[in-house]
Amino acid sequence: MAVALDELDAAREWVEAANPSYPCVIDPNHVVAQRYGFINVPSAVWIDENDRIVRPADITPVNDLFKDFTGIDSNVHHEQLRAWVKDGVVPLPVEEVAALQHIPTEADELARLHRRIAAQLHRNGNDEAAASHFDAARKLAPWDWAINRGSMPLSGGDPFGQEFFDYVQAWNENGAPGYGWGNSAMRSDNATTD
Amino acid sequence: MQLTILDGERTTTVESADGTSVAPSDLFTATGWQLKPEGLCQGDVCVPVRDRGELLDGDCVRIEGFATALRRPLVADAASGVVALGQSLIQAGEQLHDRRAPDFTLQDINGVEHTMSKIGRKKKVLVVWSSW
Repeated sequence: MAVALDELDAAREWVEAANPSYPCVIDPNHVVAQRYGFINVPSAVWIDENDRIVRPADITPVNDLFKDFTGIDSNVHHEQLRAWVKDGVVPLPVEEVAALQHIPTEADELARLHRRIAAQLHRNGNDEAAASHFDAARKLAPWDWAINRGSMPLSGGDPFGQEFFDYVQAWNENGAPGYGWGNSAMRSDNATTD
Repeated sequence: MQLTILDGERTTTVESADGTSVAPSDLFTATGWQLKPEGLCQGDVCVPVRDRGELLDGDCVRIEGFATALRRPLVADAASGVVALGQSLIQAGEQLHDRRAPDFTLQDINGVEHTMSKIGRKKKVLVVWSSW
């Protein structure tokens, strides 16, 4: 299943162009981000037949477009996915999965609530009131991309413009926080097959 | 005045005399929680309410008291008449620590609802993406 952390109008053309055979739902209120701890896209979580998480929410490259940036080789992820689907091989020991979940803190939760109020006010044309909630969300969760970059189209910004590049620079200068286990486990230079 | 309550998949606008409390029937519509003699209940789960005075304002339920009783974070914008309820951090933390996949119901671009748990006993990959 695909989940768009996006407004319906923004996601529609992409869904229509892709015309996927699997369900593709729209999550303008970031409910899935809130419950699973997603902080950026593209990300994925793997869930087994008993509805247990076997790969925690983390960055998941679809292709190698951003390989230089993320250091993640998409082939490694694809191979891990095939091994799990075909042979039930999980990429992480079960006991490590719990430790790698993005358990929400109070600040994370409050940031998402401020973002949600801001988005609601924006949709109602009340951008003046929305602005302070977008600001509060950014302050509470400065390295959550779904909040910071994801809010740009809703607050007069450009998620592919200078504002975004400034954000990436600041994020890098702070040690690129929030990219979890995937950044090490899926780096092609670190990948192991055992 | 009107109060818009944001809670999980729900966005509900109800009448509120003072902008801070709502009728129990509206609380149920907005959150799925019912006020009963035994406490606040959702399905089979009931949470006892220690201080009804904190929860109630006359016949109406104070949203802030509701959030406190269920230990859920709350952000309110009184001037704009919008309030957002968070998830219980204790429950959310326990669920993820136990690796239990949180459920959700969302619509596709055609308005058709999809519920994660209704996919059934299959391996599932949840891919999160966006246009931004």
